[in-house]
Amino acid sequence: MILDSPALWLYLVLLAPASGAILSQVPYPRVSERVARVTSLLSLAAGVALLVLPGRGTFGPYFGVDRLSDLFLFLVTAVYVSSTWFSRGYLAHVHRPFLTPERYYGLLGAFALAMLFTLSVSDLGLMWIGVEGTTVASALLIVLERKPTSVEAAWRYTIIASAGLTLSLFALLLLYRETGTLDAFTLAADPPPLTGSLVLVVGLALVGYGTKLGLFPMHTWLPDAHSEAPSPVSALFSGVLLPTALYAFLRVYDIVPQPVPPALQDLVIAFGLVTALVAAFLLQQQRSFKRMLAYSSMENMGVATVGVGLGGLAFYGALLLLVAHAFAKSSAFYSAGTVLRRVGTTQMNKVRDLRNRLPGTSGAWVLSGLAVTGTPPFGTFFGELFILTGAVAEGQFTVVGLLLLALVVAFLGVNAQLGRMIFLEDPQGPSQRLPEGLGETFLPWGNVLVALLLGLVSLPYLSDAIRMAAGMVPGGIP
Amino acid sequence: MPPTSDVEALVGLGILLTALYLQSESFVGPLVDAIAFQSLLVSVLLGYLAWVDDDPSLALLAGLAVAIRVLLIPYVLRLQIRAFRWRFRELGASQRVASHALAAVAVAIVAWFIFQQTLGPSLPPVPGGAFPFVLLLQGLLTLSTRTNTLVQVMGYLEEENAVVYAGALFAGGFPLFLEVVIFLDVLGVVLVAVILSIQRSVVGAPEEEYLEELTG
Repeated sequence: MILDSPALWLYLVLLAPASGAILSQVPYPRVSERVARVTSLLSLAAGVALLVLPGRGTFGPYFGVDRLSDLFLFLVTAVYVSSTWFSRGYLAHVHRPFLTPERYYGLLGAFALAMLFTLSVSDLGLMWIGVEGTTVASALLIVLERKPTSVEAAWRYTIIASAGLTLSLFALLLLYRETGTLDAFTLAADPPPLTGSLVLVVGLALVGYGTKLGLFPMHTWLPDAHSEAPSPVSALFSGVLLPTALYAFLRVYDIVPQPVPPALQDLVIAFGLVTALVAAFLLQQQRSFKRMLAYSSMENMGVATVGVGLGGLAFYGALLLLVAHAFAKSSAFYSAGTVLRRVGTTQMNKVRDLRNRLPGTSGAWVLSGLAVTGTPPFGTFFGELFILTGAVAEGQFTVVGLLLLALVVAFLGVNAQLGRMIFLEDPQGPSQRLPEGLGETFLPWGNVLVALLLGLVSLPYLSDAIRMAAGMVPGGIP
Repeated sequence: MPPTSDVEALVGLGILLTALYLQSESFVGPLVDAIAFQSLLVSVLLGYLAWVDDDPSLALLAGLAVAIRVLLIPYVLRLQIRAFRWRFRELGASQRVASHALAAVAVAIVAWFIFQQTLGPSLPPVPGGAFPFVLLLQGLLTLSTRTNTLVQVMGYLEEENAVVYAGALFAGGFPLFLEVVIFLDVLGVVLVAVILSIQRSVVGAPEEEYLEELTG
């Protein structure tokens, strides 16, 4: 049957946001919004179908999916849908926006399309174009609120991310020279011999894609862009853009012949570990809750990168962490958006007593705060546990110690700050309850519950997909 | 016809000299001319290799490089300069020209050594083979040391020129459609950068506000 064909769903997963980006340009904001909502749902349906259907492989010379790309495709479509649905309420409060609703939904669709394209192609050159395309599509979304700080953040994002990605392109040129092909599946099936050039290719790709992933010291754009972007876009940045950049690096790392040389493995682990540590300590001194959440994303990406470097069980942990984090962090940013919209500030010392003022939102925010810091029984906890177990199995006790330090510091920092905003009483007296829309509370709760369920039960298809995807890269579980 | 290696070395030297000039110039207008000239030199190299190797795809790339990087992007940047006269000169750069030039020479030497120790041994011996790598680091230097937004765009373009230059020297036969899409992608980045640059000048940039929100 034609519906059993993965190619059909793969093309649909791309066509849905593409048509959404184009059709939402009709000059009627409500129609534009509805078009964006419907096409994002279509995209999710295609993402789910890819996760469920058994067939895999390449489609034509440039497109191809395997279990790893299926998992990431589903993740992007899921957060894309929730961000699109959350946008309506958020846009309503933006005074004198830089983008009309039509342009906003158009760029949102283009942004999702660029990420989905990155995950759908088997050619590493096209993958690079997709990652660079995410910068082009998303930079103007950051400026929505037309503040000097948001323009500055968008500028830093465009320049730093593009400059970093040029190094990845340089790496791909060298790889093409070495192998004569850029097809990721061909290279993974028949890895080239390990040469100095190949090590350099992986190193340059790590620095290049690491810039987009937010690895220290190339991370400087990340806290600015995440904190200045509108909340639905921040959710996409933290939840799925960073993992998409990690995916692009994984595809290059995948071509290293087994066993991965210890020096290369140590390089990846070191970048991840330093990133997690730096982010964990930097998030302590933030005054804006969105900026704190941005550093928390950076910390999580650092931990996931350590898992990628360790391989084996730790790689499975990294994938579980990425999936659970995407749902939990998008929930955290939606709640942050509601707080900003209702209270009117992102400054943490000016926000108090949210449990009485915004009870629905604050409940989801507490849970998402616990989830993004790896508290049991959330999926993120088990992801981090598997990474630590993998490190112990490899005898990497220094890594275990430093990773635990980063996790504990981040846990204390995020939850203490959220706790103050939610549970401390307002010194200016009892606060009144503020209005909360159904969409404002439903989406954060829905997403954080997925992160919770990932830790509690084996979710149909999704948990299996994570396990199967973990067998796709060096040292992965077969 | 001169030997290919001589032409490659000569054009490479020209590209490198342009890179050093870019570091030491503080007026934005001449910088746009310099980046256009550097792109032209890269296009000339592509065109020459297309002629020698009888490779039509390289000729197409050369034409595309002229259209996008020598004509279109510099035209857009010049429009910006005309629209915002304050961009004529980078603020305070006049005092730092000497230090920029010194830093550029130091980075070029360090980049050459890094290339010889890492990349060089595994690449075919091409005259001026280290030049693309030196150019890449010069672009990064421009990005990190300049404050003017248009000059930062030029640093990015210099990096992209380095990639095209490296591709021409070492990765002959890099899929044509990829090169074409990469060219268009770069154009997209530049256009977004220009829109942001306009917004930056419209909304202003109070220093205290940056310090308050975008730190840590």
